[in-house]
Amino acid sequence: MKRPLTAALAATMVLYATGCAIAADGEALYAQHCAVCHTVDGAGFPPNIPALAGSQGLEDPFTLVANTHAGGAYMPPFPTLGAEEIAAIASYVRGAWGNGLSPVTTEEVAALMEEVADPDAPELRSIWDGVYTREQAARGQQMARAACGLCHGSRMNGVPDDNDMRPGPPLARAYFLRVWDGRTLGSFFTYSKWTMPQANPGFLPDEDYAAIVAYALSLTGAPAGSTPLPTSARELGYIMIGPKP
Amino acid sequence: MARTSDSDRRKRGDEGGTGLNRREFFKAGAAAGVGAAALAAPAAMVAPTPAAAAEGWDYEVDVVIAGGGCAGITAAIRARDLGASVLVVDQNYDLGGRMLHSGSYLSLGGGDSVQKRDMAGEADAEGFITVPPAEEPAELDDSIDLLFTDVTDWSIVDRKGQSPYRYNERDMMRAWAENCPPTRDFLLANYVRMTRISGTHGGGGLSRARAPYCFLMLGDVTDIEAGTITPEDAGVADPERTSAMAPVQMEDATAFVGPGAVRNGVALSRPLEYAARKKGVQFILHRRFTDVIREEQVGGRAIGIKAVYSPRIHPESGQRLESLWQNGNVDDRRPEIRIRARKAVIMASGGHAGNPEMRGMFYPAMREPAFPTSGMALQGPGGQDASALIAGLKVGAGLSGMQQNLSYPTCYHIGTRLGTRDAYTDMYPGHPTFVFRGSTGIAVGNAGFEEFIAVNQVGKRFFDEVKLPRRPGGNRYPGDGGAPGQGLEHKPLDWRNCSAAWIKQMYNYDHGLDAAIAMNEGSKAPNYYCGSLWAIFDEDAVERTGWELRFPFVNWSNGYAFRADTVEELARSIFAGHPFARVPLSHLAQTVDTWNGYVDAGADPEFERHNSGPMHKIVRPPFYALSIMVIWHDSYGGLHVNGRNQVVDVHGQVIPGLYAGGEAVGGFNKHGLGKGHVHGFIAGTHAAREIG
Repeated sequence: MKRPLTAALAATMVLYATGCAIAADGEALYAQHCAVCHTVDGAGFPPNIPALAGSQGLEDPFTLVANTHAGGAYMPPFPTLGAEEIAAIASYVRGAWGNGLSPVTTEEVAALMEEVADPDAPELRSIWDGVYTREQAARGQQMARAACGLCHGSRMNGVPDDNDMRPGPPLARAYFLRVWDGRTLGSFFTYSKWTMPQANPGFLPDEDYAAIVAYALSLTGAPAGSTPLPTSARELGYIMIGPKP
Repeated sequence: MARTSDSDRRKRGDEGGTGLNRREFFKAGAAAGVGAAALAAPAAMVAPTPAAAAEGWDYEVDVVIAGGGCAGITAAIRARDLGASVLVVDQNYDLGGRMLHSGSYLSLGGGDSVQKRDMAGEADAEGFITVPPAEEPAELDDSIDLLFTDVTDWSIVDRKGQSPYRYNERDMMRAWAENCPPTRDFLLANYVRMTRISGTHGGGGLSRARAPYCFLMLGDVTDIEAGTITPEDAGVADPERTSAMAPVQMEDATAFVGPGAVRNGVALSRPLEYAARKKGVQFILHRRFTDVIREEQVGGRAIGIKAVYSPRIHPESGQRLESLWQNGNVDDRRPEIRIRARKAVIMASGGHAGNPEMRGMFYPAMREPAFPTSGMALQGPGGQDASALIAGLKVGAGLSGMQQNLSYPTCYHIGTRLGTRDAYTDMYPGHPTFVFRGSTGIAVGNAGFEEFIAVNQVGKRFFDEVKLPRRPGGNRYPGDGGAPGQGLEHKPLDWRNCSAAWIKQMYNYDHGLDAAIAMNEGSKAPNYYCGSLWAIFDEDAVERTGWELRFPFVNWSNGYAFRADTVEELARSIFAGHPFARVPLSHLAQTVDTWNGYVDAGADPEFERHNSGPMHKIVRPPFYALSIMVIWHDSYGGLHVNGRNQVVDVHGQVIPGLYAGGEAVGGFNKHGLGKGHVHGFIAGTHAAREIG
């Protein structure tokens, strides 16, 4: 892995080193990687983001591993998670919230991962590698003002442009880096697209959501490059968020 | 702009003819400038008949309206359209009330014409809108019955576990739902332009998307009829300046209209004001409504109002502020006047959010006068002063929805703009009332609260700062985050909507506000005020955040921002310089020491702040204190009205000739504009049709 070890991932590894039970690891990993969309209580944001509590989709480990490792129709991939980690997460969600399904072994997951591996998977990059263009960020600024600025502020600093709105969290700079550390732009994009703006999630085209992400990166100080951010969760899932190297 | 005119010295009842002479009328028209209604319709007669004058009336019109905000101006235009002569009094120097500083998010529905336009994928009539609809057709497919069901749904709860709709007045809500579509058309016909609909505003029902914003297009001239506004007038030409036209800088509306569109209450209030003036509605500004006059104190028709002179004087120049447009203004500076209403009186003078004694009827801790209502500088001390509620009580009116103030996140909340008392809006220099706030404040959002410690009037912490500003979310159907929520099957009137299991899942209120206004060591009988709240931080925090502690954001001499080289000195300067300081901040130095110890230990045993966010020591001078405000914004309790917006008395009988609308009215838990405009439309309609 080229990217620097992030605090969150380091913490995860510490958990392993101290030999916590698999179920506990699964819960921590779920909170770090999955709960942003599927929520800690497994309720998700249906119908856009499915609930995992009571989900029949968990019955076949294949679907679970395939979606997590390589991404699904709308779900981003999680290329930094190894077989052991995916097994822990899969076991956790299959057993949590009264789902009552049996744990999955690391070996089982490793085999499935090999089966679903994406031969065209992009190389893992970081937001600091020049992953968007200046033009894309400018477009994002224009779209974000009306769509996001209401609650997050047109400078994305968590200060609503509209005084009636409850302040949203900052989407740029130090706060953003801290909260999203160790996650990918795939998760950020997917969460934003399917839950935002709250009054009307998903109303903008994918290109605009990606442009808004580019704008947030520009405010954060990440450098622009020569190719624009991709506009699919699958490709964005290979771009890590983390502190400036 | 201060003018002296013959009318100033007019004696009560000694003038025949029109209340506004021709010379004055044309002078006022000429002063209105570009974009104003320079050629208004002839003003209606407002002087009393000899008989009325003999009874002590100073003016006589068909319909008199107290308040020129969203309900009052709408009622005025509507009554004028139906042929009535109309006189509006407003306590402020300019029109618009809080509509002018609003976001213009105007939730109506019931199958209104903007819903239908967006459903069909059409542009607006003028072709300004170039973006596709923001909502799916199914989410716009509305009806009056569905809207009525939504806004009276007993089962819907918010994230505080409280039910906003079940206490709404049924007769009023039915009429409201039925009048939403015609009100939408009425506004469109009076120069208001609406963006694409995106979602629904709080309290407007959950099943469908019902709320567009109001917009104007940036252009070379401000021309209400053409739909354009200059960047200077819109307040967007300079990031730290606004204009006399727009107290709050207009916001970008590209995503909902197309490039060049700006939106907020300016695009709603100024067009309606323009239409009202053009159509011959007359206004007496600087005039605070105090009493409804009935034939008997609690009997007979409402036949007029009493109003007192309430000039807004610039504290430095000593000049009276004057309205942006002036055609149709009647300049009367007598201490008290009586206005006869031949047909009806409409009370549209707002709610009680700016009246601490009235707020105390709902939440005793909110008698604390240090905390303002929104638009404090814009509206002055007469804003939201409960004038309609008090005047109504004096003539026997009944009340409704008195408990509903407790159930919406913007009713009262902790403001996230620090260092100004007027913490709701971000008005900049350039607006005539900026001087009353003295600073814009530093807007830090919820996230900014992790950068400091929050202390009370004696200098003690009282809550986890990170959780302090969080407001509970609005009303929700089970399982979904936003309204109307694509693809989910929502069942109105279903017990599952308020099942304990669902409430447990979505409840998210932290009660930080309630901790903030609780009693402390400095609270004294009889009111046990909590006192002011302060954000305390050091120079490291300023470096961390990049907060620009300079004018116009912060003003070191307005009593809401302090800095000092030691914490002890900081405490002393707050006590000496803050207008609502009652006790010294005697615990502040100890609090900062204790906090620094918590940061070293990585744990805050008092409020478990370590679970919520990073903790920073407060060690590097200079030290800073910025005020944190509690803002009471909305009023949901108020006068009881029926479906015609007629005021109903304590015996359940209509008070003939007396109407009320907007925040003066209780029993309708709806944030924002949709309540006021439709009430104004209904009241104006029926008031004009009274036989008198």
